[in-house]
Amino acid sequence: MISQSLSGQFSELLTEVRQSLVIVQAKRFGAGAGIIWNEDGLVLTNNHVVGKKSSARVILSDDQQVSAKVVARDPEIDLALLQLAEVDLQAASIGDSTKLRAGDLVFTLGHPWGRRNSATVGVVSHLSTARTRGKRGLIPIIRTDAHLAPGNSGGPLLNAAGEVIGINTMVINGNQGVAVPSAVALDFVARVWQKEGAAVRLA
Amino acid sequence: MAKSNEGLMALSGSLADAVEAGGESTVTVNARRRFAASGVATAKDLILTASHIVEDEENIKVTLADGSELSAELLGRDPHSDLALLRLSEAKAKPAKVANGEPNVGQIAMALGRPTSEGVQASFGIVSVIGGPTYGRHGGLLEAHLRTDAVPFPGFSGGPLVDVEGKLLGINTSGSGRGHSLTIPIATAMKVAASLEEHGGVKRGFLGIRGQMVELPESSQTALGREQATGLLLAGIEKDSPAASSDLMVGDIVVGFNKQPTANHDELLALLNGDVVGKATAVEVLRGGKVESVEVTIGEREVQESRGHHRGQHRGRRNWRGHWGWRQRR
Repeated sequence: MISQSLSGQFSELLTEVRQSLVIVQAKRFGAGAGIIWNEDGLVLTNNHVVGKKSSARVILSDDQQVSAKVVARDPEIDLALLQLAEVDLQAASIGDSTKLRAGDLVFTLGHPWGRRNSATVGVVSHLSTARTRGKRGLIPIIRTDAHLAPGNSGGPLLNAAGEVIGINTMVINGNQGVAVPSAVALDFVARVWQKEGAAVRLA
Repeated sequence: MAKSNEGLMALSGSLADAVEAGGESTVTVNARRRFAASGVATAKDLILTASHIVEDEENIKVTLADGSELSAELLGRDPHSDLALLRLSEAKAKPAKVANGEPNVGQIAMALGRPTSEGVQASFGIVSVIGGPTYGRHGGLLEAHLRTDAVPFPGFSGGPLVDVEGKLLGINTSGSGRGHSLTIPIATAMKVAASLEEHGGVKRGFLGIRGQMVELPESSQTALGREQATGLLLAGIEKDSPAASSDLMVGDIVVGFNKQPTANHDELLALLNGDVVGKATAVEVLRGGKVESVEVTIGEREVQESRGHHRGQHRGRRNWRGHWGWRQRR
């Protein structure tokens, strides 16, 4: 049965990506999600998850608690980069968000309302743009009908290959999810991670 | 990632293909002060859309998938099914392909819309309900409807519900944001569209009675000469209605209409179609246990503008005060 194999592929893919999914706790209340971006222990999450804090507690998929430093943040695109004390973690593979089309299947992973490792499914509803408050002007955003809730922030939006193609950031229109595309995130990480193996302190 | 998820990737690709294919016939319809909604090209010069989004009939603009903006005239609207038909000033649209066969519960369906110039939008779901007759927003009977769990985002009204090939399953009508959407199956929508093109409207008959379904005792069924378990007890007759100017009386039990048995409201409403409007039609009633035939000249059901509870209908005019939840930004 095709649908059985689809369902199996779906759960396999999510089991794989969940190993790179973390919980980020920085503020007194609430927590968000984050994704292990590379083997050097960098974690990407939303800026609004860490708030104004300079450090955060990160809970890995194996329940291990690790402290992390906020090495860079960009409130304009709501992204923050954390450096974990732990390295050699399984990083997620990053996809190319510029190749997305409306209708492409997407999955979200996160901890909505504190329910850990929850997954939702949907499609790319709209490849749209948003005006940022800063110098960037218009940036591309991905809108999806996959359900998001508080606790999904900072978690990955995945394509059918299990690659991260966006960072889930907010909900608009009541039920439409908005993700910052991986292209924008890659650009952000590249700018703060110029020297190989060493984070440039911007924060 | 391992190649084990080829199936998912193939599905993802075909969904995106479907959005692209269906999107070519999905247009922007700009005929209200709030932001625009969507429509579907059913022919090179015909756009089927939702009636409630056409507020400014004199000034309708349609933007095709290729970005060209055309003016359009309203050929007709049917507020009961919430459908409207527009004719483009130039025959430049790409007609949508219609899905073959009947829709199935559980089949993958996507709602498409094009409310902005930023390209087609989609939401994913399945066909959740294939319903028989239901009542539209003004009390008229719709012969069939679909429901889907695909989220109708703002501006999706009038857009298509498509299958995995991007072919038309139906037209999404009800205003978005109300928590559910009603989709008119394409077969029904095309019938409405044909009537709108030909007559500029869809006629529905009107009697002006209030009835309650009652069981018929065996003696009545014997008098009728057929097995019919229920009929409609007339509990009220509206003033100045077709029923009021006929010999129908409160207390009659309506058991047939136009030579066909009617056991409940739905069966009666299904027979009260455009064909009987203006015609003297026989209504079969039980009166004092005896069968009688009463002739009624059927009127036409008119749209009663309701205030308040169909908020979507009045959003354009009532937007600025109250209903904060409805104010949308682009």
